[in-house]
Amino acid sequence: MTTADTRVAVEATPQAPGPRGRARRRTPRPSATPRHLQSDLTAYLMIAPMVVLLGIFVFWPLVYSFWLSLHSINFYLGNEWVGTQFYRYVLTDERFWDSIKVGVTYAVMVVPTGMVISLILAMFIKTLRGRTASVMKTVVYLPAVLSSVIAAILFAFMGQDAGLINAAIGVVGIEPIAWLNSPTFALPAVALAGVWLGLGVSTLILLSALNEIPESYYESAALDGASFLQQTWYITIPLLRNVFLFLLVTGFTLTIQEFQLPLIMTNGGPVGATKTPNLFIFDSFRENTPYSTSFSLAAALLLFLVLGAISLVIFRLLRSEKAIDA
Amino acid sequence: MSSDQRSGAAPGRVSQMHGTVAQRTIKGLFTLLIAIAILFPVAWMAIAAFKSKTEVLRSPFQFFPDTWDPQNYVDMLQDDEFMRAMTVTFIGALVFTALSLLVNSLAAYAFARLDFRFKRFWWVYCITPMFVPMMAILLTSFMVVTKLGMLNTMAVLIIPGVASSLQMFFLRQFYLGHPAAIEEAALIDGANRWQIFWTIFLPQSKAPFVVVGCASFLAYWNAYVWPVLTITDPNLTQIMQVLGNFRSERGVEWGLLMAGSAIATLPTIILLLIFQRYIVSGVRMAGIK
Repeated sequence: MTTADTRVAVEATPQAPGPRGRARRRTPRPSATPRHLQSDLTAYLMIAPMVVLLGIFVFWPLVYSFWLSLHSINFYLGNEWVGTQFYRYVLTDERFWDSIKVGVTYAVMVVPTGMVISLILAMFIKTLRGRTASVMKTVVYLPAVLSSVIAAILFAFMGQDAGLINAAIGVVGIEPIAWLNSPTFALPAVALAGVWLGLGVSTLILLSALNEIPESYYESAALDGASFLQQTWYITIPLLRNVFLFLLVTGFTLTIQEFQLPLIMTNGGPVGATKTPNLFIFDSFRENTPYSTSFSLAAALLLFLVLGAISLVIFRLLRSEKAIDA
Repeated sequence: MSSDQRSGAAPGRVSQMHGTVAQRTIKGLFTLLIAIAILFPVAWMAIAAFKSKTEVLRSPFQFFPDTWDPQNYVDMLQDDEFMRAMTVTFIGALVFTALSLLVNSLAAYAFARLDFRFKRFWWVYCITPMFVPMMAILLTSFMVVTKLGMLNTMAVLIIPGVASSLQMFFLRQFYLGHPAAIEEAALIDGANRWQIFWTIFLPQSKAPFVVVGCASFLAYWNAYVWPVLTITDPNLTQIMQVLGNFRSERGVEWGLLMAGSAIATLPTIILLLIFQRYIVSGVRMAGIK
């Protein structure tokens, strides 16, 4: 998996040949060896802090996760190699699949909703000029600087029985709902917070994509008598296809990993209705038994595998479409 | 012909201008409505904090408090635990931001401007963490820092997150776009790479530094899960820990909790307002990439 992901990383970086070539050409070194060694030393010193820190706090834990997930931990007898046993446990555990179901449902609630609202917001902000436009960009982005802890507290507060949301739906005559205590409505309540938190980034990305569409497309469409809706449907949306795909993939892989919001709003309840995959993994890790440690690590790596595969496939798709467009 | 055209065009233009005025009013109202809708939850937090304990979730629902009583804010500002957490988290966030700027920009400069052996390997090494989901390493990171004896120190809050592939990538993109001429001149004048980095590149990095610096600060300030795992010492408790555990520790005092949340949100909003121009364009740059 790691190698596959690495490949994506390399391909996704447009730099590869260009800048390196430029760097080589720029610094011709007649007295090759000493200067070259010196230059190597400088570069290595510069990347050393990053390399060491990533080694200790990313690669070591990653390898350690993998290693532990293949062992049964025993403090007295030492760790015992059990192969893929824990992976089989995870894959046959209904709670794991339930959490995947919750995660997918949550992502399906959050990502498309967020994208539609973001598109509308971006299209609206695009029509604004000057100071109003820059103020609105800041306003839209404001929820994104909030901690998800605070958003979770805030939406939990608004979802209380005598809270704001029930008061608001009461105005249109809907009976109060016990949002966070109802297996049906708890996840939508969490999703509401998720959509609100995520709006800023996707709106700004869509806005910059909108601004890249040449104005002449719309002008000639308007001359041909295309209405606003037709222009949106036949010009804007097709031209934003790659951005939509990008937002869809990153949004999906990120929201399915969400667990701070449900952790604080509902703690996974009621009856597991908001227990997303990562919350399930986190909770089983906190049981703090040797079994649960290996089990939760195996579950985390399996999720990594699935998410990595999904984003790999879609990034491939995205790249090939870009190639066709160009 | 020209007069003919003008007389024909005039009424059209007038009606168009009328349309624009009406349109502008509607658009202005619309803008205001959207802004209120987006900011509403934040405003609601600040308003609810002015309500007393009996009033905050009273039925029937009432939007504004009977009397605007700042008692909840005063209580939180005088709360030792809360204020200690605010201070400790703020200091931690500043150190974290400075360190991550240093580490990531040095590596970014080396990858953008220097040529060295095994560069490609180290590049892939430094960029791979972008694709590793947090949960795959969170649990064992906790085990690693436990082994290193780092639990309940400032170091465990700061050091593990300092190196960031994403930020390094962002800064490198910026350095790649720098013109090479100044650098060449400095090299010919006998400056070494460190001098070039400190005297030429750093002073010109304000915009990207603001973007990644704000991202670092926010990441540290808003962190919850990592402090919960690694900090049990009340002297080092982080602000989001205090708020996240508030309901279980003090019962449900929503007014107080809203006041605390509002106070803890303030630094992040101030940060956004000061650097809004940089942050907004930074997000868009990241999107284009």
